Amino acid sequence: MHDETIAGRVRPLARAFRDGGLTRLTVRDGDFEVEFKRASAAAHPERGAAPAAEPDRPTQAIVADVVGIVRFLRPPVVEGTVVEDDRDLAFVEMLGIRNGVRSLGPGRVAAVYVTDGQPVEYGQPLFAIER
Amino acid sequence: MFRKVLIANRGEIALRINRSCHELGVATVAIFSEADRGSLHVRHADEAFCVGPGPVARSYLNIANIISTAQICGADAIHPGYGFLAENARFAEIARDHGLTFIGPSPSVIAAMGDKATAKRLMREAGVPTTPGSDIVATAAEAAAAAREIGYPVLLKATAGGGGKGMRVVESDADMPNAFAAASSEAEAAFKDGRMYLEKLILSPRHIEVQLLGDEHGGLVHLGERDCSIQKPSHQKLIEEAPAPVLEPAVRAKLHQTAVAAGRAVGYSNAGTMEFLVDGDAVYFMEMNTRIQVEHPVTEVVYGVDLVKEQIRIATGEPLGFTQDDLVPHGIAFEVRVNAEDPENNFAPAAGTLTRVEFPGGPGVRVDTHVYSGAVVPPFYDSMLAKIIVAGRSRESAISRMERALAETRIEGVKTTVEFCRELLGSPEFARGGVGVDWLPRYLRARQPVA
Repeated sequence: MHDETIAGRVRPLARAFRDGGLTRLTVRDGDFEVEFKRASAAAHPERGAAPAAEPDRPTQAIVADVVGIVRFLRPPVVEGTVVEDDRDLAFVEMLGIRNGVRSLGPGRVAAVYVTDGQPVEYGQPLFAIER
Repeated sequence: MFRKVLIANRGEIALRINRSCHELGVATVAIFSEADRGSLHVRHADEAFCVGPGPVARSYLNIANIISTAQICGADAIHPGYGFLAENARFAEIARDHGLTFIGPSPSVIAAMGDKATAKRLMREAGVPTTPGSDIVATAAEAAAAAREIGYPVLLKATAGGGGKGMRVVESDADMPNAFAAASSEAEAAFKDGRMYLEKLILSPRHIEVQLLGDEHGGLVHLGERDCSIQKPSHQKLIEEAPAPVLEPAVRAKLHQTAVAAGRAVGYSNAGTMEFLVDGDAVYFMEMNTRIQVEHPVTEVVYGVDLVKEQIRIATGEPLGFTQDDLVPHGIAFEVRVNAEDPENNFAPAAGTLTRVEFPGGPGVRVDTHVYSGAVVPPFYDSMLAKIIVAGRSRESAISRMERALAETRIEGVKTTVEFCRELLGSPEFARGGVGVDWLPRYLRARQPVA
């Protein structure tokens, strides 16, 4: 495959990755394979396990403790949001009740794994917080 | 028909329900605990949601997370299977309040029959014979007083009970305080309801139960009986058989008629089982299970009816597709429960990794299971790994077939009941048929090496 061709194929994918707010995108087609990752969510977020941190900053996965629908705050917490103390990052709505997703202390939001309105299961990582 | 059914269970019964749903063209949602992530029921379902950590109180009994899962998946019905929330009237009610069809009888019938003491009173009022017993006894002292009136030995039972949990034989006043405390706390842990009642202990009864199917329009039929007298000392069933062997035709007819009359008396709908103690010609109502039972496959084999499919059809409001006369039993079926238990050590349950799993096949053999080579048996749940079911034209041929099927079965990594059940099948009393519930405990005592 030509370099030209690769570049031609990668560019629209990169745009889609950036605009789609994805954390990871792998495209495979025959011997062509390209993977995009957000730096702060470099590791595939194994459910329930803490995602790999940036080299020198420990991060903590904030997981859903109920089954429900994620509701973002207004304005929503995004990657880079700094939290000063233990506060709500979002809600998980279960049977009409909004259950706060707490930051469990101060830090910087290193990754957002879910989108507003997404169904989540018990133990599913929602955010990564850099402490 | 439903579009999507949430299966609120795990293990083999979750797979069993999944199969009927798929045959009916209904999509399925599995729930699982963190300990069951690798379980087969998760893989077979169209969607799967983790609802909590391993311990059942936080996952398979977590009503809020289960109902929420059903809502966010757009399920329109919940099948509870057996155990867990299957006979929890409150769960059935909450499901209904959230616009979900609970595949089972109405919450009021579950509540009435699920409360074993209330069920017995209702049955007595309907003219169904019951074993002498008490209402709820609140304390050990109250239980002892009631026991003296009934006459020892008595059976102390959990009113929310089932599966032998929360049940003790009590021989005298002196044994009552310990038995009461143990059974009550066991029931509290298993069913979140520690209330107890007493029944007179009939020394060598047979446990014979009648399968019922009722629709929501007053249609009610029976699908014959199952003999579940081969029970461990813990009263858990180990080998079941349909129809019951060596039973006088008059007693068989009485069982069927009594079960149908009892079902009609409570306006029963969906699948249910009337359990009886049979002592010679005497038939006593023991309890009703308002759910599909573990041993339902022996009935399915003999009657050629998919009971789980019928449950689902009935829940959609369809009338029964057959009459009593359409239901004709053929041949004999046995079921052996393959449990991760050590028969040489009081059936102590075992957990661990199954290093090798091979199930039997061939003519007349059905295996309902959720395990495979490499599967992990978590410590939190029932120890049943599989049910091996065989069909035969005669009792003798069915027994030979089961012996052959068990000989083909290889499970390594944990101790199981396979070899022990094969030994039981070879005993002359088993071959003769018709033993009482006291047979297996006596067999075990006689088998124990003299110390």
